[in-house]
Amino acid sequence: MTKTTNLNVNVHHLTRVEGHGNIVVDVQNGEIKKCQFEVVEAPRFFEAFVRGRPYTEINHITSRICGICSVGHSTTSVEATEKALGVELTEQAMLLRKLNFHGEMIDSHVLHTYYLVAPDFLGIDSVIPLLEMNPDVLMRALRIKKLSGDLCAMIGGRHTHPCALVVGGFTRTPTERELRDMQDRLVAAREDMDATVALFSTLPWPEFSRETEYVSLRKADEYAFVGGEVVTSDGFTYPIADYKKVTNEWCVPFSTAKWTKHNRESYMVGALARFNNNYEQLHPKAKEAAKKLGLEPVCYNSFLNSAAQVVEMVHCVEDGIEIIDALLSKGVTPEDPAPVNRTSGEGAGSCDVPRGILFHHYVYEDGICREANCIIPTNQNWANVNADLKAFLPQILDKPEDEIRHLLEMLVRAYDPCISCSTHTLRVELV
Amino acid sequence: MSPSVLVLGLGNPLRGDDGIGPRVIEALNRRGLPEGTTALDAGTGGLDLLQILGGWERAVIVDASDIGREPGQFVRFTPDEARFVGSEDMTSLHNAGLAEVLALADAVGQPLPELVIFGVQPGKIDWGEGLSPTVEAALPSLAYAVLEEINKLVTRDT
Repeated sequence: MTKTTNLNVNVHHLTRVEGHGNIVVDVQNGEIKKCQFEVVEAPRFFEAFVRGRPYTEINHITSRICGICSVGHSTTSVEATEKALGVELTEQAMLLRKLNFHGEMIDSHVLHTYYLVAPDFLGIDSVIPLLEMNPDVLMRALRIKKLSGDLCAMIGGRHTHPCALVVGGFTRTPTERELRDMQDRLVAAREDMDATVALFSTLPWPEFSRETEYVSLRKADEYAFVGGEVVTSDGFTYPIADYKKVTNEWCVPFSTAKWTKHNRESYMVGALARFNNNYEQLHPKAKEAAKKLGLEPVCYNSFLNSAAQVVEMVHCVEDGIEIIDALLSKGVTPEDPAPVNRTSGEGAGSCDVPRGILFHHYVYEDGICREANCIIPTNQNWANVNADLKAFLPQILDKPEDEIRHLLEMLVRAYDPCISCSTHTLRVELV
Repeated sequence: MSPSVLVLGLGNPLRGDDGIGPRVIEALNRRGLPEGTTALDAGTGGLDLLQILGGWERAVIVDASDIGREPGQFVRFTPDEARFVGSEDMTSLHNAGLAEVLALADAVGQPLPELVIFGVQPGKIDWGEGLSPTVEAALPSLAYAVLEEINKLVTRDT
């Protein structure tokens, strides 16, 4: 097979990702003139329209940044407000917050792995043909989705956009009966988890390796999702309040989403970054799953971000069971959300949501939000996506054009980009 | 004793007459339902419907459907009385509807409740809240017909 000397790829509005973006490749006489991912999604303006709103509303507004990661945005948002206004959570509220977060992690990961990624390996365009090809696999995905959705609804009040999640805790406490029933369902889900690991361990992940910096949260005593410190695989650690030292956002001409960089030209966030940075803290069953999937730290193959998501699904099921044990052993009592200690202040919150580390930062004056900054995991990945595309393309130029296009699409999909989340308002100064 | 009848309103209230299902549910909940009946706005549930239907003996589904009638007119039918024409664009999960749910249940051998469907001919399904005037005007008689159906199912011997 001769190397392609002239190639024009223009994937307009890549399918099976959330949001809108194009892959554009131009190769002339064997030279790569252009190879990039263009985010064309319209800016969202959230950071602008939360200004002037009271602190009680902010997380309910910002949860609307995304329908898949609404719990992630809402949790990060209240964490930032709680820092700014001096709120202490009870242990019970913290456990519930983590359990709610696990629910969304499973929900988001099952959607990405089964619905968005698996079709590429099964030679189909979407998950619908599975109806005929393999309905049991489709049913399994639906079952896992329902379980995780019900878990979110039990704590957050609703599957999506957790209305019960507020500054200081929750407006509703699940009963012990509800928690026990949910625990039973999580235990029963182990079978589906095993089947998921088995399925994804048979997939022929493309060969690719590019060293980059991995950024995530870290906590001393658990695999970090909610709060902690910001760490990078190049050995840096920062308190969350110093997040800008990591992100260094800037605008790129062909993208409505900003890019970020830290110690290198780009960095990666998400399941693979967490796996690489915090492997030791995974539940033993999750480590077993990783082994079956052929995944071990430190892994530089971005395609295996999806495999890391499967590992995290297993972890969240097991940790969810343990969190419920902890809640039940202490006894669950209905609690009001904790009050604020002041109405003016500034604070940054961070959670490692399904797609990577997320930052929300607010300034409040007399209970009203005056300024907001949100840095989304997907926009932190764009520079790395583009660097990966540029590194990968020369390695596959000897394949047929259709296969090149398909592999580039799969590479972008592997990041599980949430494009609508990542587009931003641009501050324009007229000169 | 578990509830015996589930009433589902399907549709997107942001797409004009596609919101007829949720509006019927709203009307039924306001009026009050017989004991053992639950009315649920299932929105654009897609394949998740299969999970929602699980465990119920009987279900009544209300959905905007192209039944070849005038806007606002509705037809009551059971699955074996109709042939569902699946969506043309089947690459998107968002387009998966009742037809796909029934096909999936059949494929995996999941038992379904006894189903009665009310298909309502829409007038407009563009972006926008609110029903078109003809469909809005048909809402009371539609809600009444659904309620009559529920009463029949609830009082009938199993």
